[in-house]
Amino acid sequence: MKNFLLFYKSSSISGKISMLMIALVFFVAVFGTAFSRHSAFVPSDSAFVPPNTEHLLGTDDLGIDLWAQICEGAKLSLTIGIFSALLSGIAGSFIGIICGYYGGFFDKFVMRVSDILIAIPSLPLMIVMGVFFGAGIQNIIFVLAVFSWTGPARIARSKVISLKTEKHVLVAESYGAGIFYLTFRHFLPEIFPVVMVSFIRLVNRGIVSEASLSFLGLGDPTAKSWGLILNHAISFKGIYFTDFWKWWLVSPFAAITLTVLAISFIARDAEKFLDVKL
Amino acid sequence: MRIFRKRIPEYLITLFAIITLNFFIPRIMPGDPFTFVSSEENSVSTVYTDEEVARLKAYYGLDKPLPEQYLNYLGNTLRGDFGYSIYFNDTVLNLVGGRIVYTLPIAISSLLLSCLLGCLIGCMSAYKRSGIFDRVSYALITIFSQIPSFLIGVFFLFFLAGKLGWFPLSGAMKAFATYESGFEKLRDILYHAFLPVLTLTLAHIGEFYLLSRNSMISVLSKDYIVTARAKGLLKKRVLYVHALKNAMLPIITRLCMSLGTIFGGAVLIENVFNYPGLGTLMRQAITYRDYTLIQGIFLFFAFTVLVMNMIADIIYGKLDPRVEL
Repeated sequence: MKNFLLFYKSSSISGKISMLMIALVFFVAVFGTAFSRHSAFVPSDSAFVPPNTEHLLGTDDLGIDLWAQICEGAKLSLTIGIFSALLSGIAGSFIGIICGYYGGFFDKFVMRVSDILIAIPSLPLMIVMGVFFGAGIQNIIFVLAVFSWTGPARIARSKVISLKTEKHVLVAESYGAGIFYLTFRHFLPEIFPVVMVSFIRLVNRGIVSEASLSFLGLGDPTAKSWGLILNHAISFKGIYFTDFWKWWLVSPFAAITLTVLAISFIARDAEKFLDVKL
Repeated sequence: MRIFRKRIPEYLITLFAIITLNFFIPRIMPGDPFTFVSSEENSVSTVYTDEEVARLKAYYGLDKPLPEQYLNYLGNTLRGDFGYSIYFNDTVLNLVGGRIVYTLPIAISSLLLSCLLGCLIGCMSAYKRSGIFDRVSYALITIFSQIPSFLIGVFFLFFLAGKLGWFPLSGAMKAFATYESGFEKLRDILYHAFLPVLTLTLAHIGEFYLLSRNSMISVLSKDYIVTARAKGLLKKRVLYVHALKNAMLPIITRLCMSLGTIFGGAVLIENVFNYPGLGTLMRQAITYRDYTLIQGIFLFFAFTVLVMNMIADIIYGKLDPRVEL
């Protein structure tokens, strides 16, 4: 908590605004559906009601309240972003630590696999896997994690390789410290800041990938995702000739853009604060 | 050449792994082209009778044991035979070939444009570091490069094409048009390709800008630049002849490496603008669960990326003799 306050104080104005923005998105994601008076799934008024006090962001072509849909979308985006980043961050760090510490055949094998994963264009494969596995949230998180663990793994590996030869680690080893002790006592505290920055970036990557997939209509068709709202709005026949875009198109567009920008500003400030260069 | 002994086997292993992955993904997943799985689980609606499914599976070789299917697939792929599309009644090679003529020009021209513009702005930024131009362009470009490319595409599509009507809403050419001259046809093609290329260019300008700016800043602090300036050479000459030549190294390798990511971006952008390239074909293939076509497109993407990475490796080795490959 103290560290967080220090980070908040040290960050730039854009970083502070971004943190407030993300706090707002969090709040909306957690409590938004409880506060909104209408369902995000059932029509509650006639179609295309402009924003008013009853419907903060108006309604869409089926008369479903848009504010409630945006809240649902925030929940989905944050869940996918955070869990995919957590999964790949944790798995990647431990794989990286094992590779860096033991080296040898396992290390070579893992590095080769990560080379292959980096060489494969990720979006096409993600589309293919997402569609075949089914478009549930867990599947999207899993597919994202499969592609993202290589980043943290490489960072952790190179850090451990240099740490391995440091004197304090050698001393600990000579007292009989095993890999578990070394990992939690010496490696993780050193790796944490670097992996933290890459974690924030991975959250962003998850949110963008989910939005792209659901914008293509390849996400879960029943989930209220920002990308899917955008997809419905832009493929609506009359969108160019009416004023509906002012709330229907703008609200998911603004939600994605602001969230993604805010997270990237926070990542930039965190990079400066933790003094790491990725 | 050392590189050929050391790197080529690595690329071959990667290619082999991709082909294997490509074979197994569709087969471990639920649903097949003959039984469409509806959105509700466990409810399978079949359009064929059991006998027809068995006949079709035998026809496509899907009834054989998995190892045999795998060996067949490997052999066919290596011979350049990617099979027939199940839905489109044509060979995968023909379909991919028919669409690649739209995707490749878009991808390559936006790659070159973003590299050119990014380097130009990057050089000017680096020359007067922390000046007004540098600060404004740095802030603008870092913000823009964070916005997902399909959102930029939607923005252009809605305002420039939809609201203002300056550009077409979809397609690569005017439907059913007859052209009086080749020039007119070219104009129509460029007119349709403009927005997709612009979007992709904007999406990739950031990486080239940052790369060339950093590279230029480190080169500009070298002694030979001071000498060149002391000789009284023009600013342009110092910047674009003396400095750029040495700052180009990382940029050229990035150019080759980026072709892969730009293909990924093109898949999205083509779908935004309904441009009839490989990306839209891929989306169609997925809706029809067209195994062979999906595999073919994906394999094509992966193969192109691998070749480009290999070229990047070779070029880098040639340009910078210090690199031990």
